[in-house]
Amino acid sequence: MTSWKELLKDEIPAEMGNLIDIYEAQMELRKQGKLDEKVFAESRLRKGVYGQRYDNGQRHDGVQTRELTFPSADIVKGPDTLWDAPGMQRIKIPYGGLTAEQLETLSELADEYSGGILHITTRQDIQLHYVHIDDTPDLMRRLAAVGITTQEACGNSVRNITACSLAGVCHDEVFDVSPYADAMTQFLLGHDDVQDFGRKFKVAFSGCAGHACGLVKMHDLGLLAQSREINGETRRGFTVFVGGGLGTVPHQAKVLADFVTEEELLPLTQAVARVFARLGEKKNRNRARLKFLVAKLGIDEFRELVQEELKIVPPDERHTAYMDSLGAFVYQPAKAGMALNGAALPAGFADWYRSNVYRQAQPGYSTITLHTPLGDFTAEQGFQLADIARRYVGDNIRLSVEQNFVLRWVADADLPSIYRDLDAIGLADSGAGTIVDITSCPGTDTCKLGIASSRGLTAELRTRLIEKINLLPDAVRDLKIKVSGCFNSCGQHHVADIGFFGNSRRSGNHKMPHFQVVLGGQWQENAGSYGLAVGAVPAKSVPDVLEALTERYVAERAADENFQTWVKELGRKEIKVMLQPFTKLPSFEENPAFFSDWGDSRVYTIDDIGVGECAGEVVSLFSMEISRAESTHFEALLALDDGDFATADHHAYKAMVLAARALVRTKYLDVGDDYNVIVQEFRSRFYDTELIYDRFAKGKFARYLFKRHEAAPARVNEDYAHQIIDETQLFIENVHSAEQRINGVIVG
Amino acid sequence: MTKVPKRLGVKFNLKQTPQLQPADILPIFQRWIQEHTVPGMLIDVIDYKHVLEGPGVVLVADEADYAYDLGEGHPGLHYVRKRDLPDSLPAAIRLCFQHALQAARALEAEAPGDLVFDFASAKFSFLDRMRYRNRPSIFAAVQAEVADIVAGIYGAPVEVTRVNDDPRRLFALRARLRDGQINLDEIAGRLSCSPEIA
Ligand code: HEM
Ligand code: SF4
Repeated sequence: MTSWKELLKDEIPAEMGNLIDIYEAQMELRKQGKLDEKVFAESRLRKGVYGQRYDNGQRHDGVQTRELTFPSADIVKGPDTLWDAPGMQRIKIPYGGLTAEQLETLSELADEYSGGILHITTRQDIQLHYVHIDDTPDLMRRLAAVGITTQEACGNSVRNITACSLAGVCHDEVFDVSPYADAMTQFLLGHDDVQDFGRKFKVAFSGCAGHACGLVKMHDLGLLAQSREINGETRRGFTVFVGGGLGTVPHQAKVLADFVTEEELLPLTQAVARVFARLGEKKNRNRARLKFLVAKLGIDEFRELVQEELKIVPPDERHTAYMDSLGAFVYQPAKAGMALNGAALPAGFADWYRSNVYRQAQPGYSTITLHTPLGDFTAEQGFQLADIARRYVGDNIRLSVEQNFVLRWVADADLPSIYRDLDAIGLADSGAGTIVDITSCPGTDTCKLGIASSRGLTAELRTRLIEKINLLPDAVRDLKIKVSGCFNSCGQHHVADIGFFGNSRRSGNHKMPHFQVVLGGQWQENAGSYGLAVGAVPAKSVPDVLEALTERYVAERAADENFQTWVKELGRKEIKVMLQPFTKLPSFEENPAFFSDWGDSRVYTIDDIGVGECAGEVVSLFSMEISRAESTHFEALLALDDGDFATADHHAYKAMVLAARALVRTKYLDVGDDYNVIVQEFRSRFYDTELIYDRFAKGKFARYLFKRHEAAPARVNEDYAHQIIDETQLFIENVHSAEQRINGVIVG
Repeated sequence: MTKVPKRLGVKFNLKQTPQLQPADILPIFQRWIQEHTVPGMLIDVIDYKHVLEGPGVVLVADEADYAYDLGEGHPGLHYVRKRDLPDSLPAAIRLCFQHALQAARALEAEAPGDLVFDFASAKFSFLDRMRYRNRPSIFAAVQAEVADIVAGIYGAPVEVTRVNDDPRRLFALRARLRDGQINLDEIAGRLSCSPEIA
């Protein structure tokens, strides 16, 4: 029978296909118990394949905790994570840019693998939930065929690189950052220097300092567009921020460099990555983000280290090659720009125009935001939206960090008709960017760490606020609300006017879902400052709390006083007093509704909280790399079974080189990919020194590699293939034990 | 032999929009988990009612999803088998029909007189674009066979049409009883004594 692998083999770029094959082989090895569960977990995370709530095989049904007896019960895809349990697939969409064709493929995949629903995340990714791990390789192949990768979407790696969704059409930008985000994505993807992080690494680009879109100050690495006169010439460049991040302990990024030119951008990034890989915390997961390293060293020392590192970053033509193609990064609108022509406007258009339409820097064009409820849309909407995009804007589709679609390059004259078309598919709700457009993390719906239902609360607030949006004063209408299901802040509650994050409190013998109220965070100025936690209130009281807060704000604010200033003026103490009435907890008998979360009829419990995978697994670089060698060896075995001896030889040889490379990289990170260099380095560092020597066999196993490297076999038949596969196995074992001998205990 | 799709769905629409709101389905499905009202390894309930004409409220099981589905603007019960489909198309269709019917009848019992299904018609979705691209040739190849299988379930002839002809959409068929009364107990009886259903 045909397979997606077979069907798409000519459409998938070789390197992408190869990585997916390796991952599939790793899956098989894990199922057979031949690959360590932590190593597999980290490999899976780096493919964007994430765990989901209840995947430890337990769920509280409201009465009792029940065991979920999955068919392949004892097989795990990570520590305490059952193989068959539904999981999440994160799909990287660099700077949120999508083509109509890609949107169609994503919709097809949702139809077939995730119940017909897609989700836009707070970092411009797409997520599919309730995906079975067995479906993930094909899912990745179908994405790869339209140029999308899930590589390094989760795990301790460089996550999706984000950028303002208005980049290229904005009035305020210094220049369009999209091609730079694109170039950096390509440069860092799979790069050797980003494989040994203790934690995730998030990068964002922003076109201007004042607005929020890029949020550079809350990122590990933030790049802010700047231009400078240098030798009489106007040069493009960036202010570079490092060490920002949300999470439990939010940090504002520090300025690493005021201005770096386009030529310096990638090498500098590489140097930062190398310093982080070398000095970043690896053991204590709670202090492993770059922000902690920057805070520990101080920005000045960190800067010095980066400058030193920059001197030894190996030359690479890719550092500047991307600049040649910057000019090719042009937008192709589907239609010529044209002003609105005074024709009759559909009902609801005026409201929508006010909140969802942005007049582009290019005359005659607008950018529109599709307010996408909770970031969710259906596969059917995806197909229809792809049609609408083709009709009006071509491939100019983006996702925003506010979990919305953004269509750019709409000819102004088309606004009424695109509004009608979007309305027909339920994507023309007004209020984008206003108080009704609430951001939410997955929370208790699917996240293992969720404490309270962020999505349930968001849905409830949204429904209530939409009903009265037209009655709200502008000052309230324009506030931003963001909700996280716990303190980890995936919903970015620190940078909202009004943020909430889930926690729980006890009342009598029962737990009650609560939300901590966080006020006065700043979305503007690239997430310029973080909010203040002012107290926890029961989840069911949040709508009343919101009303009390906003009413008081309207009544007391000075003309033009914004929410942040008002909160500051009011002070934490006074706010606590205001929240006081809401913190009195009813007993279960008095009000059982308070003991269920929003959108969930079960009596609330925190028993379902599991171990999150946000921190990835502490797995050494060596373990990750040797596992690639092992799965390549496994592919050789499969080829042997298929009777394809030449492929078996090819994979076996490659597996030996990968194993040698894994060992070399423990001493010499920059060895690169050239087989000759790898074998030579291996020989001089480990063979000539006898470090690789086995107690009994001495250098025999290493010589298998040398033999194959020096001469391809004259004749490849079954016996030969068997032999080289066996030799590869012995060599890999040899490398494993040598590594332990040489480098001591490794984790994972 | 005709191929079995990777996943197969059967949906029965409600005859009319009920008083019951999608939100009211959430506690029903949660209770179904506690009481094991429908077969399967029941996991969780998901709420998608905020998206237009989406899967509504879904009871997720390991081998299947049961959705109070709002797709195409018709609320209904959608059963999607995700794994362990029998390896013949007749057996697969009969199995999904049986589970969809059982769940829809259980739902009817939750709000008698308000939730009323149109059991004389069923939509079959083939969630597998590898084996079932939505093309006229595929339709031509399976129309008669599906009509036979479904007629066998109803004990009366059915008409089978293609739900839409966009090649990007899932291949889906609607089977409608040509005429005559249906007796659900008889249908259920026929399905449960079917040798193909394990
Ligand atoms: C200790 C564990 C975790 C920490 C510290 C953490 C932290 C964060 C932070 C700070 C963000 C915010 C946005 C940003 O950086 O721009 C984020 C994004 C996100 N997180 Fe988490 N997270 C954790 C675990 C999880 C888990 C278990 C889930 C649920 C499966 C989850 C789901 C998400 C999602 C959906 C996003 C949006 C982003 C994307 O596309 O990257 N996180 N996380
Ligand atoms: S904020 Fe907490 S509940 Fe929400 S996705 Fe992150 S870890 Fe999960």
